[in-house]
Amino acid sequence: MSITERIATAVLTGADDQARQLVEEALASEISAVVILEEGLLEGMAGVSRRFREGEYFLPEVLVAADALKACMDVLQPRMIAENVRPRATSVIGTVRGDLHDIGKNLLGTMLQGAGFEVIDLGVDVSAEAFIDACRAQCAHVVGLSALLTTTMPQMEVIVREIRAALNPAPAIIIGGAPVTEDYARHIGADGYGPDAATGAELAKQLCLGTA
Amino acid sequence: MNPASSAAMTSRQRVARTLARQQPDRVPIYDSFWMEAECEFRRQLGCSLPPDESKLFTWDNSLAAARSRTIWEIFDMDLIQIGWPDCYLHQRPEIVVEETDEWVIYRNGDDALFKSWKHKMGTPERVSFAVNSPDKWREVRHLLVPSRQRIDWEVCRPVHERARADDRYVCYATLEAFEAAKNLLGHEMMLKAMIKQPEWLQEIFETYTTLQIGLFELCEAEGLHSDGAFLYGDLAYKNGPFMSPDHYRRFVKPSHKRMGDYFAARGMPVIFHTDGDIRPLIDDLIDAGVNALNPLEAKAGVDVRQLAGQYGDRLGFVGNIDARILATNDREAIREELRTKLAATMPYCGYIYHSDHSVPPGVTLETYQQLLDDVRTLGRYD
Repeated sequence: MSITERIATAVLTGADDQARQLVEEALASEISAVVILEEGLLEGMAGVSRRFREGEYFLPEVLVAADALKACMDVLQPRMIAENVRPRATSVIGTVRGDLHDIGKNLLGTMLQGAGFEVIDLGVDVSAEAFIDACRAQCAHVVGLSALLTTTMPQMEVIVREIRAALNPAPAIIIGGAPVTEDYARHIGADGYGPDAATGAELAKQLCLGTA
Repeated sequence: MNPASSAAMTSRQRVARTLARQQPDRVPIYDSFWMEAECEFRRQLGCSLPPDESKLFTWDNSLAAARSRTIWEIFDMDLIQIGWPDCYLHQRPEIVVEETDEWVIYRNGDDALFKSWKHKMGTPERVSFAVNSPDKWREVRHLLVPSRQRIDWEVCRPVHERARADDRYVCYATLEAFEAAKNLLGHEMMLKAMIKQPEWLQEIFETYTTLQIGLFELCEAEGLHSDGAFLYGDLAYKNGPFMSPDHYRRFVKPSHKRMGDYFAARGMPVIFHTDGDIRPLIDDLIDAGVNALNPLEAKAGVDVRQLAGQYGDRLGFVGNIDARILATNDREAIREELRTKLAATMPYCGYIYHSDHSVPPGVTLETYQQLLDDVRTLGRYD
């Protein structure tokens, strides 16, 4: 098994210490940052995403894999900068105005990062203006809106409308959260709906990169 | 002639028979409310309100309104709760550390920081948790022992007395270990500990289970006897359980089984509350001693019309009336929702009316009263 395959396996199983050590080994062996990222970390996270969607993984497995990814990224980031490795695309995510729930949004962030996106997390209770400012400043390719409550879900429609009015071209907009449905996404003019974080990240890849 | 249908039962008889899946006179009624909805109903009915409606986020404030009359008594429901012991490390009011007109950041009794809206209910944002390592846990675990100050006797005692006088069914309500541990550690740390620190997590669950049984015994020792237990633990979300069935069986089920066995030995049925799509864990919950499930969230895909045939002979159902339909105030749509779910569940005699989570703001008093009237009419067995 190659070292990048071992990195992928360590991420997949949430073995954070082992994953970080393997990345250090790989860097010491002069393997390029982009190869470590693509064939190691993102390959591992693709496996996490697939297992989560298929019901083999649950949140504990996803969370420890995310920790392993983060531990590796801390080591890899300086070399990525030195080698000018860019993320596949940039995403802006947040929970909409009036809503303080963050678990679903955080999971989407993890899955997007695992899919090679740069993730700009605006937090919770985020206004349309904040989304627009961040999209403009970061040249975002995709925006992810989260809401957990039926009472805050209508904010999604407001934010979608205002992003489309303010930005041309507008980034792709995906939505998710407990009360949200595919029909609702269509109704408010969003580009898609993620029933779970992993599917949301796959959708973002399709919309931004043309791949899944 | 079936004796159950020959005369109206008391609430206590009605719920007891239902939880034993024996035919009652009619489907019992119980419900939960978002605080804005409860306040609006109380206001319209001229009942006591929380002392400070700008502090809807505090449980103490909510309980204060229940001292004179609970919402269950106001609507003449069949089941009533007592207990709700304080399972935090420290027994003290929330400490406000920052606030605006709209929201407040407060430190709770577990020293965790939460951000919450001031004028509306909802799950607060978790800002930080003080217990974030086994070492920190070892410093505080000695605090988790039963004590009288964990129970609000000023609420429990009169509510219990009135419930007995009215012959309502009394449930002792408490968080179970998963929910209490989640409050202490946060979801992320608790779920990661299932893989990274399993012994630590098992010790936490065992500690809370011992605490909760001890607190129940304090209530019993005070003469506040309960007919059943109502355990609260959100094990699932919209897409399913937070953890795999294997992790549930390893970490959580032993606690549930211990409580299930404990209450079963006292002849007390267990109603288990969990949000979300709990279907993958139902068999295990039954095996752990759960007699009925609540609230059976329709928006998470749970539907008693499907579950009744599969589990109706082994499990009671308390809920599943879709709050999204209630919020439309469309009385025909609500009646149809009720009618079809009663039709599916009543043959098994184990159904208690309850919304699929909480009655939301916007449901009018007229709509709600009509709904309860419909339960009393459509839910008759004779």
